[in-house]
Amino acid sequence: MTDAHRAIDAVWKLEAAKIIGGLTRMVHDVGLAEELAQDALVAALEQWPRSGVPDNPGAWLMAIAKRRAVDHIRRARLAESKQAGLVRDHDEEQPRDDDVLRLMFITCDPVLPARDRAALTLRLLGGLSAAEIARALLTTELNVTQRIAVAKRTLAARERSPSADITAVLEVVYLIFNEGYSATSGDDLMRPGLCLEALRLGRMLATLAPREAEVHGLVALMEIQASRQAARTGPQGEPVQLHEQDRGRWDPVLIRRGFTAMLRARDIGGTPGPYVLQAAIAICHAQARTADDTDWVQIANLYTALVRLLPTPVVRLNRAVAVGKAQGPQAGLDLVDRLAGNPALRDYHLLPSVRGDLLEQVGRYDEARLEYERAAALTMNAAERAFLVRRAASIVPVTSGPTLGEAAREFLARSDLDTATIRSYSQTVRRLCRALGERLPLASLTADHVARVFATAWQGAAAKTWNRHRAAIRSFGAWASMPGLDGGVERRTEPPAQQAELDPVRLELVWGLEVAVRERTLWRLLHESGAAVTTVLSLNVEDIDFADRRARTGRDWVSWRSETARLLALLTDGRARGPLFLADRRPVPARMPAPQDICPETGRGRLSYPRAEYLFKQATRPLDPAGNGYTLKQLRQSGRATRARTA
Amino acid sequence: MRYLMMTMRDDNEATPDEKMFTEMGKFVAELSAAGILVASGGLDPAGTQMTYEDGEITVTDGPYAEAKETVGGFALVDLRDQDELTEVARRFFAITGNGVSRVHQVFG
Repeated sequence: MTDAHRAIDAVWKLEAAKIIGGLTRMVHDVGLAEELAQDALVAALEQWPRSGVPDNPGAWLMAIAKRRAVDHIRRARLAESKQAGLVRDHDEEQPRDDDVLRLMFITCDPVLPARDRAALTLRLLGGLSAAEIARALLTTELNVTQRIAVAKRTLAARERSPSADITAVLEVVYLIFNEGYSATSGDDLMRPGLCLEALRLGRMLATLAPREAEVHGLVALMEIQASRQAARTGPQGEPVQLHEQDRGRWDPVLIRRGFTAMLRARDIGGTPGPYVLQAAIAICHAQARTADDTDWVQIANLYTALVRLLPTPVVRLNRAVAVGKAQGPQAGLDLVDRLAGNPALRDYHLLPSVRGDLLEQVGRYDEARLEYERAAALTMNAAERAFLVRRAASIVPVTSGPTLGEAAREFLARSDLDTATIRSYSQTVRRLCRALGERLPLASLTADHVARVFATAWQGAAAKTWNRHRAAIRSFGAWASMPGLDGGVERRTEPPAQQAELDPVRLELVWGLEVAVRERTLWRLLHESGAAVTTVLSLNVEDIDFADRRARTGRDWVSWRSETARLLALLTDGRARGPLFLADRRPVPARMPAPQDICPETGRGRLSYPRAEYLFKQATRPLDPAGNGYTLKQLRQSGRATRARTA
Repeated sequence: MRYLMMTMRDDNEATPDEKMFTEMGKFVAELSAAGILVASGGLDPAGTQMTYEDGEITVTDGPYAEAKETVGGFALVDLRDQDELTEVARRFFAITGNGVSRVHQVFG
C-alpha cells in the first residue's frame, strides 16, 4: 500500500459512520448509501495520490458522495414522475449528529441474526473491511461479504419500525466487546482490537444518546472490564482470575473513565437496568484495593437484583460465586448444585470450574478434581484448558480401581457387537464421560448420576432417542456388573406417529421468528408447496423456474407462492447452479458428499434433513407449549391443510 | 493501541488567536466523542530536571537553552494503527500550523 492509500484507509475508518449515516438519511437505503460512499472513496483513490489529502477529507468525501446521491435521487424521481420540477435540492443538506445514531439503529435491527448485526455494524460504523471483520469474528472473508450482502438486502426489503430500539444497539456493542474480551475459541484469551472497536462505538453512542442511563452503564462496564486486560493473563498466556490479578496493572485511566460513565448513569436516575447493575458490580471490584477488600455482600446483593432482570443460567452462576464469597463456600455450592441440571449449561465449562473451586474449599477434593477435569474437557480455549488441567493435577487422587473413562473405552472395544450398535452406544457413553468426568471411579457411579445426565442432556429428546440411550446404559451396566444403573431413568412411551399440524395462530408465530434467510425460505417453501421435506432439500438452483414459481423434481413439479418467491430471490443471490439449500460450513474431506451435493460457487454441501430438522426444532422450541419444538413435517402438513380448506 | 503525543514548544510560534481556540475546542470534542482522546493537557514551561547519580539526586530548574526540545503539551490517544495516528496528527497540525510532535506507543 502506498502512503496515500494508507491515509485514505485511515480517513475512511474515521469518517465512514458520518458519511454513510448522512447518505442513508437522503436515500433511505443503507446498501445504496454504502455504495455511494464507496464511489466517493474510489474518487479519492484516484485524486488524492496526485493532489494530496485535502484539509478536511471527511467533508470532501461527503460532498462527492452527496453529489452522487442527488444524481441518483433525480434519476429515480424522473423515472417515477417524468417531471424534473419535483426534484428537491439536497445540496443544502448538512450532516447531522443524529445521522450516526440512526445508522446504528439500522445496523442493529433485531430482524437480523446477532452475528450479522455485529458484522454490519463493524462494516458501516467502524469502516472495517470484510477481511478485517473476518479476522475479528474468526470466519472467512467470503462468509462476511455474503452475510453483509444478505443483511443489507433484508433491511432494504422491509419497512423500518419508527421506534428505534436502543437495547438492540447496546446488545450488539456488548456482543462485539465480548467477542474480543473473552475469545470463545482459539489460543488467545483476548482480541484487543475488537474491544477497542466496541469501546469506540459505546463512547460514540454515549455522546449521541446522553440521556440513556443504560448506555452509560454499558460504557462503564466495558471501560472497567477493559481496564483489567493487562492483568488477565499471566506470562504464559494463562488466565489469571480476578482475585489473583495484580491490581497495579489495572489501567487507572480506563477505571476513571468507567467511574465517570457510571456517575452519568446515576445522575440520570431511574431503576437500574442490567448494564448499570453489571457496571456497579465491576465498580465494586475496581474499588477494592486488594482482593480481600472486596465487598462481596454488596456484590451478592447486586447479583440478586440482576438475576431478577436477567435470570439467565450464567448470571445465576455468577451470583452463586458471589454468595459463596459472601456467605461461605457451602452457600455457593448449594446454589450451583441447583444449576447442575440445567440443560443450557450442560457444555458450559465454567459450571464445573466454579463447582470444582467451591468443592475444593469445602474439602471435597476428589470431586473437585473431577470437576476441574470435566471443565478442561469442555473449554475450547487452549490457555484456559492448560490452567484447568494444572488445577486438577494439583489435587492428588486417593481413589483406586478403573475409572469411568477406562471402562467406557473397554466397553466400546468389544468385538461381539456390530458397528451400528457400537456407534449408537458410544454416543451415550461418551456423553456420560463428558458430563461426569472420565476420571470418575467406576465404582462410585450411581443411578442418580445417570438420571442427572439424562435430565440435562436428553430431556427434550424424542421418546425413541431417550429409550435408545436408556438401552445403551442398561447394556453398559450389565457388562460392568452394575445392574440398576438405569434405575432412575423411566422408559418413555412413544407418541402416536401422526403429529398434529400447526394451527394458524402458531403458524403466525413461526413466521414472526427472527431467523436467517435460508431457514425462512425453506419453511415457507415447505408450507406453500406441501412437498416432502426430502424433495424440497434435493432442489437445485438450476431447477427453479422463477417466473412460473415452480421447479421440476423428477416427473413432478413443486410449486410455491409469492412469499417463497420473494425469499428465493434473496437466497439464491446470484448463484446459478448447485444445491438450493446449503449447509453452514464446507464439508470436511472425510465426509465429502457427492459432486451434485456441493455448491460449485461456495464449496458448501447440501443442507441435510437432520440438520434442517434440528434448526427448526431449536427455533420453534420457545413457541411450543410443550417445549419440544415443532417438526418440518408438521409445517408441511399445515400447508396442505390450509390448501384443502381453501380449495 | 495507545500513543502518547507530545508537542514540542517553539518560541517563535504565533500566539494562538480566538479562531484557533474554537477550532481546537471542536477538534478535542470530536476526538473525545469518537472515543479517541484519552487525556490531554498543556505543560508548564518552567519544568524541573532531575538527575540521579550514584545515590544522589540533583534538581535543576528550567527552562532550557533549546526551547524546542521541551514539551509544551501532550495528548494520550487510543487508535487502531499508525495510519490513523498520522491522520489525527495531520488534522491537529492543520489547526495549529507548523510545529513538531514526538509520539511514542504506550505499552501495557
